Amino acid sequence: MRKLKSILGYAWALTALPIILATFIGMNVWAKGFAGLTGLEISPWYSGGKSAYVVSHEGYTTTVNEPVFQGLVGETKKGFVQVKWTPAEGASLPDELSEAIDFDGDGAPDFSVRLCAGADKAELEATNQLVVGVREVLDLGKERAVRVNVLNPKRRQ
Amino acid sequence: MTPSISTDSISPAPEDPKPYASRKHAASGATSSPDGTGPGKKKRSVGKAILATLPIFLLMAMMLMGQGRLPTDPLRSIPLLVTFVFTIALFFLMAWTGRTDRYRAIFFVTMAVGFVITFISNLVEVRGSMALSAANMARGETPFCHMVIPMTIIPAALTRTIIFPGKILGGFADISTMIVLWIGASLALGRGFCSWGCFFGGLEDGFSRLRKKPAIRHIPKKWTYLPYGVLIAIVVISALTLAPTYCEWLCPFKTVSEFAAVTSFKVLVQTIIFVSLFAGLVVVLPILTRRRTQCGLFCPMGAFQSFTNKVNAFDVRVEKEKCTDCKRCEAVCPTFSLDSDSVSRGTTRISCTKCGKCVDACPNGALSYHIKGTQVAGNSGRARMFFLYPGFIFLAVFGSGMIQGALYRLMLLATTGSMIK
Repeated sequence: MRKLKSILGYAWALTALPIILATFIGMNVWAKGFAGLTGLEISPWYSGGKSAYVVSHEGYTTTVNEPVFQGLVGETKKGFVQVKWTPAEGASLPDELSEAIDFDGDGAPDFSVRLCAGADKAELEATNQLVVGVREVLDLGKERAVRVNVLNPKRRQ
Repeated sequence: MTPSISTDSISPAPEDPKPYASRKHAASGATSSPDGTGPGKKKRSVGKAILATLPIFLLMAMMLMGQGRLPTDPLRSIPLLVTFVFTIALFFLMAWTGRTDRYRAIFFVTMAVGFVITFISNLVEVRGSMALSAANMARGETPFCHMVIPMTIIPAALTRTIIFPGKILGGFADISTMIVLWIGASLALGRGFCSWGCFFGGLEDGFSRLRKKPAIRHIPKKWTYLPYGVLIAIVVISALTLAPTYCEWLCPFKTVSEFAAVTSFKVLVQTIIFVSLFAGLVVVLPILTRRRTQCGLFCPMGAFQSFTNKVNAFDVRVEKEKCTDCKRCEAVCPTFSLDSDSVSRGTTRISCTKCGKCVDACPNGALSYHIKGTQVAGNSGRARMFFLYPGFIFLAVFGSGMIQGALYRLMLLATTGSMIK
């Protein structure tokens, strides 16, 4: 029994070196495999959430994301909606951007947001009581984004 | 002077370690080697040491010079060659002298310093500063590090998302790659990762070696449970808030890597906390105690990593027949992983990082690396080499890029007057 344990111990110890070598040599493959197998994504609280719809304008597009209410279990009471403006290729964003946003998908605008490209502040006009205020304005290089705090309609019923 | 022996405190280092060790030595009838390696550490012949180093030489040559030829730019080729020689020389010295911690620590500390120089220079070059803006986070530009892993597990299991503003795949230090590296290191080394892979640990390891004698000797044992408390707290709070609490509020190493730009009172408070923790736990306390206080008394990742020692083939064991109960191992252990109870059981505590300091320090060779399932006595040299190969390769491959990067930046500074290209 002692000899068997010893043999198993050495066999286990011997695997350490191949594990380290395989880790480094196949790092990219393992990393892709890990990402593919787990299907993990970055938390929407950081990424801004998934795109809900895109509005095309002359020279730029506006991407409106699904509202982020992700909780550990279920949804949170408060969240945000991200609105992002992306210039067309080779173009730059106009000095002033404005968009009416329907975040709850009822077909009616819930707020309109106005952003001066050079400034850090956005103006918000809410037509829905669930819209709370501007959370942050993000300068993403050529793109600009605004995150607007909203209340979760499901949690208010 | 006899150090106090208590089950609820970590024993202090002897006032004068060498005479103390020699005295115990003499008492046990053991004789010291003239080269100072001690009876437990046999010097190999140079030929055998070269032979033992050969696999590392070939592997490092393959890993470092994988492109087939040396870069023509001296700013790139000189750091590469220096790093290669440095790496091989250290392993050779480990194999030749039988000492582990001394040469591991040289590489480990150099890696940590190299990481800081390379990382900060790259940040300033790419981003213009060490500060991380909300836009950087929204774009997923935050490099992921192993410290975040414990906090991500529950949210990942329940929401299938990672609560960190980085990238899942692609870009510098993406989440998948860092998790794969951590899994590999954990399977092969257990908590040995903390002494053979963590690019932060070398900083306090370095600071802990600045003084010859500790100014603070008694550290109550109860403090060594604090990392487990911090771990539980940050895991629960991170899961409830879906935010990496430790990164936002407590990580001392943001001081030497990157941190949120101070744009509000909250961020100012966070900044004061992490700078204070760095100054206290990574600089001042390691100098005063000669221990890795952040790793041993605070780090939640270290606490989490301790559990991986259970799924790992290697540990450090005490041969009771050789042990004279001199307490030297307890006094030198940087992470408080040896105490009277563990020594009497012939083992270390679960938090052992396998740095080898106690193995080097024992005047009687009572402590040794060990392969689980095998006999403790008689196999120490073999077990040590079995551990050293994967341990050193991980350290060398992981760290050599950081050392090369730092040398490149220093040469850039010397030749152009700036570390930034």
